[in-house]
Parts: sequence; C-alpha cells; structure tokens
Amino acid sequence: MTDTLDQVKNDRNKTVGLALIVLIGLAITFSLSRWIDARRPPPDPNVVDENLYLNGKTARRISLGFNGLAADWYWMRSLQYVGGKIIKLPDNVALDSLSQLNLKLLPSLLDTATTLDPQFLDPYEYAAVVLPAVNVDEAIRITKKGIDANPSAWRLYQHLGYIYWQQHDYQAASEIYGKGAQIPGAPSWMEAMKARMAAEGGSRSTAREIYTRMYEQSSDDKVKDMAQKRLLQLDAMDQMDVIRKLLAAYSDKTKHCPANWKEFEPILRAARLPTDPTGAPLDPSGVPYVFGKTNCEVEVNPQSTIPGR
Amino acid sequence: MDAADQLKHKASAAPVTSGTTLSRITAIALNAFREAVRDRVLYNLVLFVLLLTAAAIFIGELSGGQERKVIVDLGLSAMLLFGVFIAIFVGVGLVYKEIERRTIYAIFSKPVGRGEFLVGKYLGLCLTLLVNVVVMGLGVSLALIYVSHGWDPLIPTIWPAVLLIYLELMILTSVALLFSSFSSPALSALLTFFVFIIGHFSADLKGLATSMGSTAARVVFGGLYYLLPNLSNYSFITPAAHGRAPEPGFLLAAIVYALVYIAIVLAASTLVFSRRNFK
Repeated sequence: MTDTLDQVKNDRNKTVGLALIVLIGLAITFSLSRWIDARRPPPDPNVVDENLYLNGKTARRISLGFNGLAADWYWMRSLQYVGGKIIKLPDNVALDSLSQLNLKLLPSLLDTATTLDPQFLDPYEYAAVVLPAVNVDEAIRITKKGIDANPSAWRLYQHLGYIYWQQHDYQAASEIYGKGAQIPGAPSWMEAMKARMAAEGGSRSTAREIYTRMYEQSSDDKVKDMAQKRLLQLDAMDQMDVIRKLLAAYSDKTKHCPANWKEFEPILRAARLPTDPTGAPLDPSGVPYVFGKTNCEVEVNPQSTIPGR
Repeated sequence: MDAADQLKHKASAAPVTSGTTLSRITAIALNAFREAVRDRVLYNLVLFVLLLTAAAIFIGELSGGQERKVIVDLGLSAMLLFGVFIAIFVGVGLVYKEIERRTIYAIFSKPVGRGEFLVGKYLGLCLTLLVNVVVMGLGVSLALIYVSHGWDPLIPTIWPAVLLIYLELMILTSVALLFSSFSSPALSALLTFFVFIIGHFSADLKGLATSMGSTAARVVFGGLYYLLPNLSNYSFITPAAHGRAPEPGFLLAAIVYALVYIAIVLAASTLVFSRRNFK
C-alpha cells in the first residue's frame, strides 16, 4: 500500500517537474527572442527591396493548381509592402501620390499576382491608382494585361482611362473610355466620359466626375478613401477660389490684407462659408484654412487630411 | 477490428460465401472507413476548422476587402492539400498494413477475390475522403456566411469545385493503391506524389510533345501526356473564387474521365496484385 502511494507521489512529482521544465523553457525562449530582436540590426533596405525570386509565369507554373492562393499571397504582400512604407507618412498623403516612397518592388508584386490569377481585378485597380506615381509605364502595361485577360471588364478601361487622364493624355483617355463604353453592361457615364475627356479633359469638373465614379465603383476601401480625399480636395479648391476672390476684393477696398481671420469673418459669413470660433474658414474636412505667404492668400492647413497636392 | 475480423464477424451473422461480390466489397470498404476513423485521419478537420476560423477573423484586415476570395482560395486549397496527403499516406498503407500484420492471409482464406479486396479498400478510403471534403466544404460555406454576414453568392459556386477536388483525390487514391500493390509504402508515396506533380504539368508535357524535333521524343512525351492523369482538369479553385462554375459539359467530361481513369488503374492494380505470392 505504502509502495503504491510512493509510486503515485513519484509519478505526480515527475509530471509537475516536466511541466515546470516546459513552462520555464518557454519563458526563457520568450525572453531570449525579445533580447535578440532588440539587438537585431535594422534590415538592409536593399535586402528588403530585393527583386522577387520568381516571376509570375514561373510562379504560376509551379503553383500546382494553387495559383489562386498564391495570387492572394502576392496581393496581400503588395498591400503590406505599400502599407509598411506609407505608415511613416503623414495622414494627408493620398494613395495616388506615393512617388516619394521607394516602391520599386510594387510593379513585380502586382504583375506576379495578376499573372497567377488574371481574373483577379483588384490588383489591376491598385496598379492603376498607385503605380502611375511610381512607374507609369508599368501601370499602363499591367492594366492593359488585365484588359487582354478580361475583355468584358469595363472597369479596367475606366482604370486605364484614369492613368491616361493623370498623364494629361486626354485624347488617349477619351479613346479608352469610348472602348470601355461599348462593352455590354458598361454604365452610360462611360460614353459621357469619353466626350467630356475630349472636350474638357483638364477641367475640375472632369476630375470630380472621375473621382466620384471611382468612389462609387471601387470595392477597395483604400481606393475609396483616396477618391474621397481627392473629392474633398476639389471642394477645397473651389472654396479657396471663392476665399481668394473675397480677399482680393477686401484688399482692393481697404488697401490692406486682413490682420487675422476674425477681421475677415463677416465677409466669409456673408458668403455662407463655415468658420471656426477664431473666424477662420473651415475646409470640407472641418479643419481651418491658414493664410499663405501673405494674409491675402489662403492655403490648406498642413494638419488637414485633405491632400496638399 | 481489421478486415479479417470484420469478415469473421460478418461470417458469424451470415456466411460470407453466401454474399455477393457487392456485399463483400461493401464490408471491406466500411471496414477501411472505420479503420481510417480509428486512425484519427479525420482529425485533420480540426486543423482545417482552426485555419478557416483564423482566416475568417484575420484575413479581412490583410486582404484589402478580398476576404471572400481569400477564404475560398484558402479553404479549397487546404481541402486539396489535406486530401492529397490523406490519399497518398493512407492510400499507400491500405494494402501494405494488411500484409505487414499478416491479416491478409485470413482475408484470402475466405472466398474474397483480390480484386474485391482492392476495390473495397479503395472505396473505403474514398468514403473517408468524401466525408472529409463534404465537412470542409460546409466549413468554407460557413466561413463565407460569417464574413458576408448572411448568404454569399459564392457558396453555390464552390461546390462544383469541391466535386472536382474530390474526383482528383479519387484518382490519386487509385494511383497510390496501384503503386502500393507492388512497392513499399515509402516508394509508393514518392511515386504517387510525382504523379500528382506531373499531373498538374500535363499541359507542359503536351507542349513538349509538340515542340520536340525527334519523333521518338514526341511519342514519349505524347504518350506520357495521355498515360498520366491530367489533373489540371480538376483545378477549378481559382475560377470558383471568382464565382465562376464549370460548364455542365466540362463537368460531365471530367467526371467520366475520372471514372474511366480510376477503372483503368484499379484494373491494373488487380492485375499486379493477383500475381503476388503470399504463400
């Protein structure tokens, strides 16, 4: 009986001892990992942006029927790649003006994702929106590749037209919108966009139309956010035009610029422009405008989420 | 309870000798299924459910609004991958285990044909795989319902892709059984895995056959193209993730191709297995 009890006790001690070894071991590896991570040298940017080992065609060939999943992987890598760099920028930088970032891997990542799954439309949209600021030739090539693989996807024509419009090639943009308009199921505004692009491609109303359609059609929250910011920017540009005219008239009348916004507030209110308690006019995002180099000029506040350019 | 015990048990209730070929095959198949369940083969479903649950919760943040596509791609790819591992590693052991345990002597002391034994074992594993893919298909559907907060139009389009995956797994199982009828499990697993890889490169084999200068090379590669299973016919995961279902004609042709190919491989396996000497 005593032997049995001793045996049970021994077994229990053994179990507790082993469990303790596991727990203490885990705690040590956790601490060591943190210690090593803290002393790890920062990653070499050349290594981080090292060219992809596989091109799209090779990746597709060896994907053994898992090409859709591999495309998802490259797509998510593209988003993480851009997201990891954009996180260091201020909030008011739009997705379509990332030329300051060194996004040299992005064309390869998007190209591989779309080669692995040519019917995956979101990477084409991303290429059309983000890539022109990085590498416009690649943006056009990838979007055209999408059109070849998905000839019935009118949205790709919208994206290609957008790229040409950004490059101020209104004739090419007009032709692309026209081609897209002929696809069954394309909305009627594509045809209207063709005419508008040819007649007044560089106008603010055309820009507003483009971003409104992009906001309506996109399924990507980041693209929607970019389009919304651009629409707010266009509204802000309209508002600033009005404010500049009012400032010019005030300056002509009084022969000086207002000393502060409070002095100018009655005129802004008369023009039905919203103001904050200091009398400064508010931009469409609710942030007050600031004076420019002189108090007869107005600018978007750097604190505003509206893109500066 | 192995196949021999099963047959003994059956014999006590109703003599096997009085059963038909179909009843003997059914008994072996059900036993193979029970054995797979007892060997915890279906435990992979737990891993699958964990994978899908994690994907449904976290993928939304990573995929830029493409979580539905990613869930279908991930779910169906995992279904294929897990199924391939089961088909290969369980498939190559179906015959070997009975030989190793020497239970095969007890089985063949009964009026059970070698072909019946092989077909029964094959159908047993196919039943295991069927349970596996159906549960996984339901898991993917539930994950889609979760991310879409209700019915998702992708749900009906994934099931034809699930059927094609199942047919691919049935073909692979038959190939594993063929190799295991004359080879060791390790070699059989390796050879079956090669067939899986080459089966997905069949378009390249055909391309090689047409681009080769020498007639002999053209004949060899052309022969390989028709001899090896064309598994790329069963890759419909990516279109399913875009809501596209296969044409009924294509689906029917793929089903007929799989059934004919399986019949050929099982006939060849029986032919080889019949010549093995267990004395």
